[in-house]
Parts: sequence; C-alpha cells; structure tokens
Amino acid sequence: MQHIYIENMECINQSNDLLFENKKGYSYQCELTNTIVVNFDGIITSYKIRDFLIFQRMVNSVNVLDMLYNLSDEGDYKLIEATKRNFSKELTICEIVQLRDLLNGTKFTLVLNSMVLEVLSDTVVY
Amino acid sequence: MKDLLRTHTSLQEGIEKLLNLQSKIESDASAKYLAMASWLDRNGFENTAGYMYDQAEEERSHFLKVFKYITDMGGIAITPTVNEVQQEFSSFKEVFEIALQNEIAVTHAVNKIIAKCRLENDYATEEFMMWYVREQREEEINARRALEFFELIDENTAAGKFELDKQIAKIGATEI
Repeated sequence: MQHIYIENMECINQSNDLLFENKKGYSYQCELTNTIVVNFDGIITSYKIRDFLIFQRMVNSVNVLDMLYNLSDEGDYKLIEATKRNFSKELTICEIVQLRDLLNGTKFTLVLNSMVLEVLSDTVVY
Repeated sequence: MKDLLRTHTSLQEGIEKLLNLQSKIESDASAKYLAMASWLDRNGFENTAGYMYDQAEEERSHFLKVFKYITDMGGIAITPTVNEVQQEFSSFKEVFEIALQNEIAVTHAVNKIIAKCRLENDYATEEFMMWYVREQREEEINARRALEFFELIDENTAAGKFELDKQIAKIGATEI
C-alpha cells in the first residue's frame, strides 16, 4: 500500500500492510518503524504497539450508554486522548463508536496475523 | 507482515488480564491486613497487630512481584485501585476467620491463572506462578494455625486474650 506524505507520522515509500478500514478511516502497519498508523477522519497518528493497545482499551472503556443518557451539553462530547497525546480530540458518540470500530478491527487483524504466523512456524518445524 | 504483537509481549491478553486481576487481589489483601492490624492495635492486641502489619507488607511485596512480572514480559500492568475494606470486626477471632477466607480466595485466584496458563501453553507464567502456589500453601497453614489457637485458648477471658495475642504473633517466626 503506497501513501503520499501528509504529516510526518505517515510512512512513505514503504510497502505497508493495510490492517483495517471503515468509513471514517484506515490503519496500517509500518514495517520500517514497527508502528501502527491510524488515519481517523484525516487525523493521522502513529503508535508503538503497546501504546496502540492502551489507546484501544481506553476507547473501549468509554461508557457510550452513559453519554447517551446524559442530557447535558457536555454529555454530547468526550475528550479522547491517546497515551503520549499523539491523539487528542473531543469526539461525539458516533465518532467514538467509529473510532472503536477502527481500533478493534485493527487489533483483530494484528491478533489474526500473530495466530497465522504461529501456525506457519509450526509447519516449518514439522 | 511482522508479528508486532508477539515481538512486544509473550503474554496472551487473557493471561495478562488475569495477572492484573491477581495484582489487584494482592493489593486488596494488603489493605485488608492493614485494616486488621489497625483494629488489633486499638483493641490492645499489640503483638498480633505487629503480625498483621508484617502480613500487609508481605502482600504488598506479592503485588509488586506480579506487577513487575507483567511489565517484564512486555505486558501492560495496571495500577490497581484500592477498594473499601472492612474496618471493624466483631471479635478477635473474626479477624482470623476473615484472614483465612481471604487466603483461600487468593489460592483460588492463583489456581485459575495456572489453569489458564496450561490452556494457553504459557509455561513461563506457569513457572512464575508456582512461587505463589508455595506461598499460598504457607499462608493457609499460618491462617489455620491462628484459628486453632482459638480452640486451645479461651478467648473470653482476659488471660486467654493475652495468651492468644502472644501465641498468634509467633506463627510467622516459626514458619517452616
């Protein structure tokens, strides 16, 4: 997958593997920097795997139902900040659900890749 | 495509969750023993209060050991929040009954992790947790021994309470 240069976080001229894509963005694994690059609604951020997992868990832990039932204005938005603050934005409920979908899809592909490689390494041994 | 998940950690997510839970259980146990020590201290059981302070320290060291293991293995160790703990006890004996129940609960939690490790073929964590198995065996023996003293010494007399306070405090010192 080729990407044009948008911000300094985007990997360029590399063969990067798309991990997941939805209406709001996409993610891929940069083989050069060993990072996960996430483009969500035009905001491009890059994470070491551990930071990515922390971010994913944090987004999953947002109580969307509480936000839905909260009738005050501040209940409409939630500040989502990634570790080391490479992502910091107030998101609506819809955006949180879409970001969650993107991150969970990315994580699923990472786990699947890990499982496939484990199985393939078994084949080599035998 | 590189396997970034495996290169950053050898812990499976399920095992990491259980280890974080274990670190919380150990941390809670430390807080519970501290509350017991405080109750014993203010009710005149100075020796057993000292014993409980030592237990609280020991549980904290167990918590730190598992916490450090998670980070050493590339996992994400989550600092546990301390739950509300029981501050008041109806009797001297009740303190030790609750202590034994607590130790049994910790043993069950340790066993669950080992069962999960075997399921996931995580022998490194299993080997690490065997230390806790041995530790829990000792902890349960000590907690039961404390309760045995209540069968041997009459708690309802001042002399009995005084003797219980002395004898229970010796349990850790005579540990095998």
